Amino acid sequence: MKKQLPLISGIAAITVSFFVFVIPFLFIIFMAFKDRRQAASRDFSWPEGFHLWENLVEVVTTRNWMMITAFVNSSILTVVSVTLLVVLAAMVGFVLARRDAKWNGPIEFLILAGLMIPPAVVPTIWLLQGLKLFGTLHGMILIEVAYNLPFSIILYRAFIATIPRELDEAAIIDGARPLDVFFRVILPLLWPVTVTNIVVQSVGIFNDFTNPLYYLPGANNATVQLTLYNFQSQFNTAYNLLFTNILLITIPPLLVFLFFNRQIVAGMTAGAVKG
Amino acid sequence: MSVTTADSAGALQTTVRKKPIQARYPGWFILPAAVIYSVLFLAPTVSSLYFSLTRWTLFDSVFIGFENFAQFFREPFLVQGLINTVIYAVVTSGMKVVIGMAFAVLLTSNIVARGYLRSVVFFPVLVSTVGVGITFTVLMHPTQGMINETLALFGIKGPGWLTNPSLALYSVALVDVWKGVGLATVIYIAGLVAIPRDYYEAARIDGATPWQNFWYVTLPLSRPATATVIILSFIGGLRTFDLIWAMTKGGPGFASDTVASVIYKQYQAGFYGLSTAGNVVLFVLIAVLVIPLTMILNRRRGHE
Amino acid sequence: MAGLELNRLRKSYGAVEVIKGVDLSIMDGEFVVFVGPSGCGKSTLLRMIAGLEEITGGELKIGSLVVNEVEPRDRGIAMVFQSYALYPHMTVYDNVGFGLKLARAPKEERDRKIRDAARILQMEHLLDRKPSQLSGGQRQRVAIGRAIVRQPEVFLFDEPLSNLDAALRVDMRMELAKLHQDLGATMIYVTHDQVEAMTLADKIVVLNAGIVQQVGSPIELYQRPANLFVAGFIGSPKMNLLSGSVTAVDGDAVTISGKDMANVQLSADAEAFKVGDMVTLGIRPQRLHLSGSGALVGQVVLVERLGNETNVSVSLPSGANFLAVLDGDHVLQPGQVVTFDFATSDAVVFDVDGIARYAQA
Repeated sequence: MKKQLPLISGIAAITVSFFVFVIPFLFIIFMAFKDRRQAASRDFSWPEGFHLWENLVEVVTTRNWMMITAFVNSSILTVVSVTLLVVLAAMVGFVLARRDAKWNGPIEFLILAGLMIPPAVVPTIWLLQGLKLFGTLHGMILIEVAYNLPFSIILYRAFIATIPRELDEAAIIDGARPLDVFFRVILPLLWPVTVTNIVVQSVGIFNDFTNPLYYLPGANNATVQLTLYNFQSQFNTAYNLLFTNILLITIPPLLVFLFFNRQIVAGMTAGAVKG
Repeated sequence: MSVTTADSAGALQTTVRKKPIQARYPGWFILPAAVIYSVLFLAPTVSSLYFSLTRWTLFDSVFIGFENFAQFFREPFLVQGLINTVIYAVVTSGMKVVIGMAFAVLLTSNIVARGYLRSVVFFPVLVSTVGVGITFTVLMHPTQGMINETLALFGIKGPGWLTNPSLALYSVALVDVWKGVGLATVIYIAGLVAIPRDYYEAARIDGATPWQNFWYVTLPLSRPATATVIILSFIGGLRTFDLIWAMTKGGPGFASDTVASVIYKQYQAGFYGLSTAGNVVLFVLIAVLVIPLTMILNRRRGHE
Repeated sequence: MAGLELNRLRKSYGAVEVIKGVDLSIMDGEFVVFVGPSGCGKSTLLRMIAGLEEITGGELKIGSLVVNEVEPRDRGIAMVFQSYALYPHMTVYDNVGFGLKLARAPKEERDRKIRDAARILQMEHLLDRKPSQLSGGQRQRVAIGRAIVRQPEVFLFDEPLSNLDAALRVDMRMELAKLHQDLGATMIYVTHDQVEAMTLADKIVVLNAGIVQQVGSPIELYQRPANLFVAGFIGSPKMNLLSGSVTAVDGDAVTISGKDMANVQLSADAEAFKVGDMVTLGIRPQRLHLSGSGALVGQVVLVERLGNETNVSVSLPSGANFLAVLDGDHVLQPGQVVTFDFATSDAVVFDVDGIARYAQA
């Protein structure tokens, strides 16, 4: 009896989790396979016929290949922002973990503030306009870097603190100059936390909706999240296309999840516990 | 006799002034990050304090004192947004703590299909919020939504999840929990795994029941994880915008407006000063609620 | 090759002074060991010599040059760290050659030097491995190899053996001694282990609270400790210390009495004492023997019979504990009253300030 308990509770858990967590995703997939007529009833039913491909073509070509533009924009935004984040945060984390300067306290305060305080939207827009960066992709990239720096810095600082200082000192005695110490000794050791950073921040920036909504108006610069949001009203009667779109933008996080599940969980819990 | 190896110019090198030890960790390393952060985050945040006191068109601003704030606390729909924000944050973080803890206990036990369950619970964390919002808007449709159709099979007439003004906010909160509980679970799992087995073995020798085990060992020893989950989801809840915007746009009426959605609406309407005042209100709200909360949670943590 | 000269060397962190004016001269080729309890400043002193800590005051000379302001890489030193500090992402070959690479040494020269060092340390077969694939002893060798290729004037060792298990530590100790013989370089070695200090050193520097307590050869420190601190620190088990007062001074003989002893007369620097002075009498446990009549009478508390020797812990009338290490096996019962005697030439008298007062030669 006692041995069967894990099995029984397991089956119960699988059943409940299936209804709560799996069915919504199956619903998305089924809807993406349906034709417009069947999708209109919005029920959880097996698709009659395979319409995914034609749905895909229609979603992608709509509004002058908007979806492709959006994917390109989102990819550039994600890749460039994450690259900058990794390099800049690693440098800050290194100095913060190693130097015991008197302004470490204020810096840490600013980092925590960055994690807590919601950005002041309109002043930021005003400032971006002044810098001629409003509505541009590079402006958006810098925004994502600014907003996500605190989290990355915390991850890096915590990791660098576990690298013994004696390693730096050995390098200094070996004749390493400050840049050698960072680039030849420390940076190569940061690979695990860098992977975590890349994965966590990519997912966050790729999925970001609010900030592009504010700072990246206009069809030319739309990201995938904005596009989906705009399609919501446009495809009001074409639920098959709406859900094909949702399915499409769920694929990148799914890939990340399949390949980097461990790092992403490690990163989110580590960052969370430190934060 | 030279200090350096005989063939290199030792005498020359001794004249090189050694920089202070700290300079081995070059301060300018923080400069690029500091510039981006200061210009794009700190400067707007600081200037928001001024602009919230103005009537503002982006081109010129007229100082009007605390008029924006007065309006914020005078207009019923704005006050409603403020109250909603707190309700939303309390409900979501409360549910994430309870459910996240329950899931974590379940998923650290020797249950079958543990890997599958962990993945399934965690995956929604990574999915686009807008996508989730749209999907659940469809699922929660009062007559044609899958949820109410399923309830109808059992003869239950489901409510208008998103159309009933007294329910809409809670429905969105429920979806927020659905999407975010995976993160809480994962944090709790990390916390539970870190509890040394000795405590459970000692408790077993003392004859503890599973329930006592949970109450006297698991719960107190996972307090750091609880603190993290509460603070993280509370801040997240107070700042929530995207899910609400994707599902109800603050409606019906202003029933599910939060401060963040008010900020956006006022921005769209061109009331930049009022929108910025909303930002300051949100900022103050977070500071006033989260700082004491952090202190209480950390004090308790130190106490254990 | 180079000697070192430390002149009133001081180090403080803010208001806290950790090295309080150290004077020391180290000869070329000497093996010097800094020893002392943890926190005594021995590692800080070593790191100041290395250039890893700034020098607050005083002057440090390596060879004939003042190096206070010289970068570590230009001081002609190499250092072996307690944790070895091997670069985890580099192979042994690259670890050893990193310094040469930074100095932009030609590839052939680099290769030759790395292989020479590997040969000296018998680790040629390890060159392609990463540090994580090495045992503790092997890592230690790599760390030493990394020091050797720099061909330093001075080797610095910061507790290099403390992470090894006891058996390996003995082996490495002997290898270090051999390395010193072969290379003939100046070596400065920090440890808290007095056995390492006694076996390796030409010269031991005993430090406490940032002050040099005594400098001398190992045997000198054992036989003629300069003060109570050195007496307690060097030698195992620790020297027994009994308090008493001077009852008579006669020529160069001083008579001491106390609760635990009566009229012990021994030779000391009589000019330093007068009747009534409080003093401490020090006597090593190994110098005591059982006798029918003697200066010390006490009750046996604990007996440890090791076969070749017997450790007897004795409680004296004052309540003080006293340890005797007796040659051979002795059957003693706890509670038994025993009498010990010792040669007065084996005892040391410390004055009220804890300074040993030996008879003027």
